[in-house]
Amino acid sequence: MTEATRADQVWGVVAAHAETLGVPVSLRSLCQAVVARLPVSGVAVSVRSARVVSEVLCAVGSLSRELEELQLTVGEGPSLQVLAGGPSVLVGELDCAEAQVRWPLFAPAAVEAGARALCVLPLRLGAIRVGAFVLAADRPGPLAAQDLAEGWVFAEFALRLVLDEQAGIDSPGGYPVDDELSGSRPEIHQATGMISVQLGVGIAEALSRLRARAFAEGRPLSELAADVVTRRRRFDPEPSA
Amino acid sequence: MGDDRLARTFVELADTLVDDFDVVEFLHKLVDRCMELLDVSATGLLLGDSCDRLRVMAASAENIHLLELFQLQNHDGPCLDCYRTGAPVSHPDLSLATDRWPLFAPAATKSGFRTVHALPMRLRAQVIGALNLFHTDAHALAPEATQIGQAMADVATIGLIQERALHQHDILADQLQTALNSRVLVEQANGVLAERHGIDPGQAFTLLRTYAHHHNQRLTELATSVIDGTTTIEILPSAPATGPDQ
Repeated sequence: MTEATRADQVWGVVAAHAETLGVPVSLRSLCQAVVARLPVSGVAVSVRSARVVSEVLCAVGSLSRELEELQLTVGEGPSLQVLAGGPSVLVGELDCAEAQVRWPLFAPAAVEAGARALCVLPLRLGAIRVGAFVLAADRPGPLAAQDLAEGWVFAEFALRLVLDEQAGIDSPGGYPVDDELSGSRPEIHQATGMISVQLGVGIAEALSRLRARAFAEGRPLSELAADVVTRRRRFDPEPSA
Repeated sequence: MGDDRLARTFVELADTLVDDFDVVEFLHKLVDRCMELLDVSATGLLLGDSCDRLRVMAASAENIHLLELFQLQNHDGPCLDCYRTGAPVSHPDLSLATDRWPLFAPAATKSGFRTVHALPMRLRAQVIGALNLFHTDAHALAPEATQIGQAMADVATIGLIQERALHQHDILADQLQTALNSRVLVEQANGVLAERHGIDPGQAFTLLRTYAHHHNQRLTELATSVIDGTTTIEILPSAPATGPDQ
């Protein structure tokens, strides 16, 4: 039986690592768990923000922060592509002609800094482009299929932690592995769209409000979302605003 | 089923593949054609996500009960068995299947379904999802229909790989995530339209699909522009959006 257990396993790794450190699960402890678990030297989470193209929300291990900052300096690179809406970027060898044609400024500088392989996965929920999850290695070679599969699951947990932070939800002690956010719950995404119109805000802000409300009321997200979709609940703009 | 209709369906689906490819629209069209060709009562197409959970990509009706059934299958049900084993799973009478699927069988029966067929979507050794066919009568699908159903599941799989080839990146997980994310995007747009026009999300989806079709636009691109407000879809008073597509 492999179903659902990959998520359980990966969450187990994240939770155990935080426990060893004696801290609650956070984006930082998750990134540390990734470095401990996967054959990578560094992990970073970059997000889009209103003011800048990209902001490093968290960086753990060697190379991670340097590579993100380098891309901002030269104005090109895989993380920037992913942040702009592109697909995942997997580079098994940065020190080669192909990579240098692709990123004439970034690739040589990244190799100079000691990086040889990169894996950048999008953190995205429908139209909400949240950020990029970056795994960097100082040795060439692609991630093994199993490691990459785990990488995607780590990225999914990272996405939720970033969204929690944006919604002002305190990191709960035990994270629900069976979170409904990316499951087959169309009403959550439908409600998000409806709330964005009700409040006249962007789709990301609408999701934040929905999650924050569900958290504050201690209700399952899908339940509150269903109330919105069936018009038993509305989100009204705050009068003070 | 007529051979002509079958041939036309595969030509139509193949056309979709070479043209500007739109994964959500393609899978919905495929589900619609399954209904016609296989004479079934409900169809759903589910893909596995990065956590190996099944997620609904397309369903013949945006029927809550149907979706609930699919969701249930993350824990118990023929689609899950099919996804795990990579082999077709069927049952001719769900009212007798409670031993096998203690949660799913009673729920399906309660929703009026008697027969189920789950056909794997396989890419070489990997199973990426499953096609679910439901019937309200207790009767087995004819062998010929099962073959056509499997061919439809294969076409769906090819569709997902085709897009991968178009975009020239070589990782299946990314393709599946992209497809699943397109579905989320479309649901967000459905919500925006539903609120703007006071309709339900199923009606909004019909509106979105119709508009995309008339304007020869990709569903995902249209959804994006509806969400960011660059496209507003008006409903003409003479032609109000009617019920969901089924």
